[in-house]
Amino acid sequence: MSEAPWRGGSVHTRRGHQAAGLLAATLLALPVLVGIAYSFKASTGLAGAGATGHASLARLVQVARDPSTWAGLWFTLCTAAAATVLATIAAVAVAVTFRRDGRASQAGRLLAAFPMTIPHVVAGVLSVWTLSQSGTLSRIAYAFGLTARPADMPTLIYDRFGIGMIVTLGWKEAAFMSIVASTLLATRGSDAEEAAQTLGASSWSVFRRVTWPLLWRGLAPAIIAVFVFVLGNYEVAALLAPSNPLALPLLVAERAADPDLTRRGDAYVVSLLLLSIAVATVAVHEWVRARWQPIAP
Amino acid sequence: MRFDAHALPVHVMALAAAGAFVFLANVGGCADPRGAVATQATLDTLRARPWDSVRARARGTEVVWRMWRGDPSINAYVDGWVAPRLRDRFGISLHAVEGQGPQIVNDLVVEREARAGRGSASLLWINGETFANLRHEKLLAGPWSGRLPNSAFVDSASPIIRRDFEQDPAGYESPWGRVQFALIYDTVRTPSPPRDLAQLASWIRAHPGRFTFDQGFTGTTFQKLLMYGLNGGVSQFQGGFDSTRYAVARGRVFSWLDSLRPFLWRGGATFPLDVAVMHRLFANGDIDFSMSNNQNDVIGKSRQGVLPSTAKPLLLRDGSIANAHYVGIPFNAPNPAGAMVVADFLLSAEAQLEKQRPAVWADGTVLDLAKVPAEWRDRFAGLGADSRELSADSLARYAVPEVSPRYHERLAADWRDHLRSNNGSMPKTP
Repeated sequence: MSEAPWRGGSVHTRRGHQAAGLLAATLLALPVLVGIAYSFKASTGLAGAGATGHASLARLVQVARDPSTWAGLWFTLCTAAAATVLATIAAVAVAVTFRRDGRASQAGRLLAAFPMTIPHVVAGVLSVWTLSQSGTLSRIAYAFGLTARPADMPTLIYDRFGIGMIVTLGWKEAAFMSIVASTLLATRGSDAEEAAQTLGASSWSVFRRVTWPLLWRGLAPAIIAVFVFVLGNYEVAALLAPSNPLALPLLVAERAADPDLTRRGDAYVVSLLLLSIAVATVAVHEWVRARWQPIAP
Repeated sequence: MRFDAHALPVHVMALAAAGAFVFLANVGGCADPRGAVATQATLDTLRARPWDSVRARARGTEVVWRMWRGDPSINAYVDGWVAPRLRDRFGISLHAVEGQGPQIVNDLVVEREARAGRGSASLLWINGETFANLRHEKLLAGPWSGRLPNSAFVDSASPIIRRDFEQDPAGYESPWGRVQFALIYDTVRTPSPPRDLAQLASWIRAHPGRFTFDQGFTGTTFQKLLMYGLNGGVSQFQGGFDSTRYAVARGRVFSWLDSLRPFLWRGGATFPLDVAVMHRLFANGDIDFSMSNNQNDVIGKSRQGVLPSTAKPLLLRDGSIANAHYVGIPFNAPNPAGAMVVADFLLSAEAQLEKQRPAVWADGTVLDLAKVPAEWRDRFAGLGADSRELSADSLARYAVPEVSPRYHERLAADWRDHLRSNNGSMPKTP
């Protein structure tokens, strides 16, 4: 049996390509792997500022017993999940609304992608200007008599529910997600949906039974990527999150700069916790993907 | 003096540190593995030589200075005034790069673990608990500061300068400037500000939601001011850390704050992350007070447009914590001779005078003006004062020194734990 031209020539060549690929992958992963190893060392008191030089689980126990760890974890998970859901809904709405080829649709897709051009720190500052009690929204509400004074504006930033964070991150990530969703719809075509409509399905039924199943399987990696990214985002949290509960990326920063050297190792423990969640999320995604692969279009 | 810079995206901080570790461990293997020894040996040699030979050795070299880079006024002074003079007079190329207290300590620890030989920086801007941490971890080279010719003019009688948070600098750091904690208020919004802690508490109750303090270094300094004021003054805490005394004092501070929490900004449910957020809230009119570890910060920030021009510093009669800031040489400095020449120039009357100008930085001098030559004394006397500057008499009357850095460490950590324990319980006694 002859090799397909794109698969290359001899067995030796193929093995050479595989080895080169493996080497490249290893080089990519190496800093992360060594970083994890170092974090374990620092978490057990064997490395980093304030290291005792004796292996101990004291730091792990200390962080595990600290209520702020779990309050911060819950806050971080909730805000990351909410921002991801918000971004996904917005992206799907954009992709479905502007899926045609006309200029209006092109303009709609382009405008939806605009937030991608703004760094996260700038998005955070924009939110401070817009959503704070002395911000633009507050002043507009006051000007229209909706509030008696600017300070009566509901708290949208530094609030314990992370509303400002969720809105900012959802808005920012929706741009990336909308590009992925629009591309998915464009490559899938509209034959199945047109067939369903021809058979009498309502627009909602078409979306629910045809468009969404097509979209979500393709969107899943982007959803996972956005969730994991948002989970560890520092800039937006630093600008908009409350001091209590403290988002985990801020807790890492706080502990890494703790005036007490003996507490700095806590930062590595919390980092490993964040990393574990990210790895678990990716693993769940891989499991779901493998489960759905046989019937994927 | 501590500032408000944000860290990098820090969920990857551990990985980045480890990445640096790997890189340095590999590359450093080819470099001088005895950088620390070499730096110390060089310093020992330089101490015994005439100053001219130190300057000769420094000529044509580069000095990398790790410092907080968050204030345009300070950056302009260092980059636009100090650096050109060092280049022209001493042939030294000065490069100031970002790096403040905790980050400096963490990075130097990683460099040491990586056995990277010579480090990247030759000079550090430090004080207080950073100095304590660096000394504890043996990350500073020295002693060397007594060798600087201009050290003869330092106000060594001042307890603020002679002791860094009660620690003897022991020649491992050279003083650079001194500052004093002050509240910041707007003379238009608050024409009659409170003058002591009792009045402040009354004012906070009468103006719900208009006062807060940050969770960083400045906020902890404010808590230390409370600790002194509510427990019989600074003398109760001098002479090293006393855990029993601290536990009692902490209880009073937290009780005072808890009683006022419902009247703080956002009902005391959340606090600004750092002093930069405080300044923003103050400038936007969300709160009526900000604070700073530098009593003249308000002047520079007003000039930059960060704070309103009607803002002024305010000292409370209960005391105003004063401290000095210093420069140190790391254990693995590649250019200790250059660092010494830079530190000496920073101590010169000329550089201290320029730094103290209200239009430049308004940072207090560490020199004893009675010791400097008469011509410079006259120039210091002729410095134009900004109308918002606090008088030297007021500053001196209310100045109280720092105490052991352990108080700072414990207050910062315990307040955070207290805030986040949902039942408001006191942290364990240290």
